[in-house]
Amino acid sequence: MNNNKSKYALLNASALALVGTMLTPGATWAMDGNELIKEKCLACHTQTGNPEQPYSRISEQRKTPEGWQMTLQRMEHLHGLQATAEEKQVLIKYLSDTQGLAPSETADYRYVLEQKPNIVEDADPAYAEMCGRCHSNARFGLQRRTEGEWKELVATHMAVHPTLELHALSRDRRWYDIALNETAPKLAMDYAFDDTAWAQWEKAAKPSLTGSWSVAGFMPEKGEYSAVLTAAQTSKDNYSVTMVGHYADGSKLSGTGSAKVFSGFEWRAGLTLDGVRVRQVMAASEDGATLTGRMYQSAHDEMGGELKAINGSAIVTLSPAAIKQGEQTQITIKGGYLEGTVKLGKGVQVMKVLSRDADRVVVLAKASASAAVGMRDVTVGSTKAQAQLAVYDKVAAVQVSPMQGLARIGGNGGKIPKVKSTFRAMAFATGADGKLGTDDDLNLGYMPASWSLKPQNEVAKEDKDLEFAGTINSQGIFTPGDTGLNPKRRMSANNVGMLTVVATVNEAGKAIEGEADLLVAVPIYIKRAIQ
Amino acid sequence: MKHLKSFNKKARMIDKATSTDDVEEVVAMQTIVGCTSTNDPGWEVDAFGGLGSLCQPMESDLYGCADACWWPAQVPDTMSNYPDWSQDVAKADEDWRKLDGIFPEEQK
Repeated sequence: MNNNKSKYALLNASALALVGTMLTPGATWAMDGNELIKEKCLACHTQTGNPEQPYSRISEQRKTPEGWQMTLQRMEHLHGLQATAEEKQVLIKYLSDTQGLAPSETADYRYVLEQKPNIVEDADPAYAEMCGRCHSNARFGLQRRTEGEWKELVATHMAVHPTLELHALSRDRRWYDIALNETAPKLAMDYAFDDTAWAQWEKAAKPSLTGSWSVAGFMPEKGEYSAVLTAAQTSKDNYSVTMVGHYADGSKLSGTGSAKVFSGFEWRAGLTLDGVRVRQVMAASEDGATLTGRMYQSAHDEMGGELKAINGSAIVTLSPAAIKQGEQTQITIKGGYLEGTVKLGKGVQVMKVLSRDADRVVVLAKASASAAVGMRDVTVGSTKAQAQLAVYDKVAAVQVSPMQGLARIGGNGGKIPKVKSTFRAMAFATGADGKLGTDDDLNLGYMPASWSLKPQNEVAKEDKDLEFAGTINSQGIFTPGDTGLNPKRRMSANNVGMLTVVATVNEAGKAIEGEADLLVAVPIYIKRAIQ
Repeated sequence: MKHLKSFNKKARMIDKATSTDDVEEVVAMQTIVGCTSTNDPGWEVDAFGGLGSLCQPMESDLYGCADACWWPAQVPDTMSNYPDWSQDVAKADEDWRKLDGIFPEEQK
């Protein structure tokens, strides 16, 4: 286990490992996963003699690639497993492919694999109180075990974290009895090892992800972008990847890297994009037509955003995705290799095609004053996408996303970097009925807004959180304060705080505001592939 | 509690909470993924969902909680899993810059 090293040192070390892998592509895959299990794991685990479940404990669990990665790291750290980075890759790949999760089994918990920040989970209280006190509910939600294995996990927790029996919600009830005899059987029902979803997916033909993909996404600091992603297979489930496109301001986006596909659909790619190391975590749809997920900076996983790719030539999304009655605006249609006439729907005229690139078409559009409020289908030549552009009368409401944000103090010469938080303003119109909160409300997509902060409550005001906890810039990116003791605060408190983030969109001279809560917390000293 | 009188801010908050069922409310308090909801004491937020009852600055009492594995997914415990984590940092409130994190390897 690589503890007591800086995050950056780790990333550099793994980058070197990647170079080594690239130089000897054949060597990695010459290794056989099953043989490696026999070689590396049987010092402790045993062969059962049952061909259906050949290894003790190992064969009664199914996990995501990140889940198996965590298992191997724990085996190294606590049980003396000795394996090279290359051998661990082979084991993770083999176990994910033979004892993974089906696409439908991961659907509820993609956010944690994508390292998506600012998620508040809606978990069963029985799990939230027993398991979610320390880690995400996704951590167990992305595992499948036999009942015996869920019970063994209770024992593992007792061995590894013995004081958990002293925590609130443990010491005040029959914790061990509940964990063993109520929670474990419930987990075995809700997250069963034997499941038809995996049995069917394991047998199913897996989609090839080779080819060109039409891509749209968002990266904090850079903004929205469009691109063409090209994946060329180098060996089974391994691809070389290039991504070329534009950010919304017209500047160019360019990157290359490699991707590996686990369990037949779990896309994990590492690229150097405009000089920055980034990672893509996406799920391929079962038919291989789309890839959806998130791209983020490898060294700062909170700095990332959604990423969607459609195989071949397609309209992925529009930016902006709304036009106001009677107004003229520039609209970017994001999609690969779009050719032919652009049509934006009834009442919206394309005044001029401003530019055409492989990844986008930029047009000047005008909505007539009498254009009906509602969604429009968009076509470019023979390529069509439904309900892409909203025609609206006025912005009626602004919602800040995320509604609850988390930032962490850091930096200041210490080894733990600051964790920023990025906010975006999503606008809504009332729709034809003129009322907010009804089914016909129109989502106008993300809009530029002006950003400000205020104390979240009286205590925050009294403690001057606004002065110390951090600042927000014109892009909605909050940068927290420095870590360490602050002698300027009462009791030399840290620069933590509870703030309210305010987004303001101007609508015909009237300020429409949306708000979100922001917690500026102390640093986190442990990070797992699945938090 | 009727024979005890709270005399500082934290005690008054606890006193108030126990008389207004706030404690029951915080049992099911939701947290953002990555944060702990073990908040007796808490790491990111206190038992009232605020910051007023946290150990602050956290460096002053870090080991008192971390050694005993109070937030095992947020802070390394020196009791069983990471005995060497704070070995070279005797006083966290003075040498906090030396404290490092435990982060996953980047997976290819």
